[in-house]
Amino acid sequence: MKSVVTTVIAAADAAGRFPSTSDLESVQGSIQRSAARLEAAEKLAANLDNVAKEAYDACIKKYSYLNNAGEANSTDTYKAKCARDIKHYMRLIQYCLVVGGTGPLDEWGISGQREVYRALGLPTAPYVEALSFARNRGCAPRDMSPQALSEYNTLLDYAINSLS
Amino acid sequence: MDKRFSGLFNLTEEQAIAILDTPIAQLNEDDSRYVAAAHLVNFPTERSIQALMRAVQTTDRSLDNRIVRRKSIETLGRLQAKESLSAIRTCLQDEDCYTVENAVWAIGEIGTEDPEVLAEVAQLLDKPGQTYRVIIHTLTKLNYQPALDRIRRFTDNEDPPTASAAISAVCRLTGDMTQMQQVVEMLQHSNVLGRRLSIQDLIDARYYDAIPQISRCPVSLVFRLRGIRQLADAGVAAGKLTFESVRPYLEQVLRDRPEDLDLVHAYDRTPTLPFLIRELYETDFGRCYLATKTIIEHHAEAAPAALFATYKEEAYGDYGAHFHVVKLFGWLKHAPAYDLLVEALHHPQPQFQKSRAAAAIALGELGDSRAILDLKACLATKIWDLKYAALMALERLGDLSGVAIAADDEDWLIRAKASLYS
Repeated sequence: MKSVVTTVIAAADAAGRFPSTSDLESVQGSIQRSAARLEAAEKLAANLDNVAKEAYDACIKKYSYLNNAGEANSTDTYKAKCARDIKHYMRLIQYCLVVGGTGPLDEWGISGQREVYRALGLPTAPYVEALSFARNRGCAPRDMSPQALSEYNTLLDYAINSLS
Repeated sequence: MDKRFSGLFNLTEEQAIAILDTPIAQLNEDDSRYVAAAHLVNFPTERSIQALMRAVQTTDRSLDNRIVRRKSIETLGRLQAKESLSAIRTCLQDEDCYTVENAVWAIGEIGTEDPEVLAEVAQLLDKPGQTYRVIIHTLTKLNYQPALDRIRRFTDNEDPPTASAAISAVCRLTGDMTQMQQVVEMLQHSNVLGRRLSIQDLIDARYYDAIPQISRCPVSLVFRLRGIRQLADAGVAAGKLTFESVRPYLEQVLRDRPEDLDLVHAYDRTPTLPFLIRELYETDFGRCYLATKTIIEHHAEAAPAALFATYKEEAYGDYGAHFHVVKLFGWLKHAPAYDLLVEALHHPQPQFQKSRAAAAIALGELGDSRAILDLKACLATKIWDLKYAALMALERLGDLSGVAIAADDEDWLIRAKASLYS
């Protein structure tokens, strides 16, 4: 699993050298932010179902057409689809907070996933909308500390950026 | 392309263009330019194409605009808008690797023989941090021979899907297929995306010899069916395959028994039933199939109650678990699940489409002849795998009266299946 620490060590090992001062500074920076990341990870884990539900509820509300009875994406099932996929991305974001790097999203959520969405003609817009809602909704200190929220939002942006 | 989701956002063309043209600062809170850019794929008109090109030329570097640009490039590619080629070409030098990826992909969709454009795409293989897989696909699709040496450098890339694309590309560009076995081996990759993507490379290379291995690859049957179907279409048309040579593998995938797959996961001890039920919700179907197999082998008696419970609680709305619950009721031959299976057979939502063919197979397993009318009704749909699965189930129930309907089907594969009975 790729993290700041494993990336630094792998680069140093590949070059047959000790980690440089700037390598150690980036590890130090990651460790300094770890308390905020773990706070965000803990809050997200405790509220995963609510966060995912809120995000897809917002998406449904925004595109009320999706609620029309008998439409191809009528309420319950469409919500469920979003819930399944949003939860998957939220879980990867939570792993990233724990790891302190974007490895889990890169390896399990992004690499190749863009190709699959394109090849199958699957719409990415609902996920992007739902994750954007989650990013705009987070509030400090109500939900978590400002530092934790910043870590969380950075990863949401990363997921939105790479999915779209 | 797949039109199942074309009505997703219920915008008119005018509304979508107006939203896309609105400067970000003036955008209404409820409007999304990203959605508008995606939605315009439904309108292959000059004004939509012009609007999308304006969006591509709006180069504000904020995240919100960046994703709109990328989606606009993708939509222009889907619309195969030749007039947008020069606008898209300017994106090849963008600093955002996903914008570059979409631009390369769109050029592949639109098609070009312009050597300057192709050389520019090929040069991206020398640039760090790009999505090389897509670049290799486009260059190969457009048969750009001068890129061969550059592509060859990626055949032992540390990223298996990139290596897979490169090996496949070299084989296609040189006509020497001896290395394709390496791509076949990736069907057993530990990463589910690696497995799915190697199927794409086998399709692109028209590597018909891989059909048996594709049928045993532990990914969702959607990917296996897509691979076998596309290879069958191409191979039969080219006179390299016959329906009879493809049929056993096609039917094996449609039947989709977990013991017919080469699973890449294994348990070190037999898990409990509640754990296995949770595994049915995994996004890596390889794990779901292992859970299904274990449930059948070790928890056959207790499983139906647990399946009904999870269906009621959650699986009715989760298109992955829904599929596996339907399959399991069939393998367990659980007669009380009949109504649930008939409901799944007629499921109206597009994301549950694969559950419909699964329900047809499961109803065949139940052996209840009440299902015959429902199965025959499926022969009137436009979903080929559902029709084929319905014919298989009807055969199992001993009813061949659907053959007459299928004999005139618009799809050659369905007609070929029907002709077996006549």
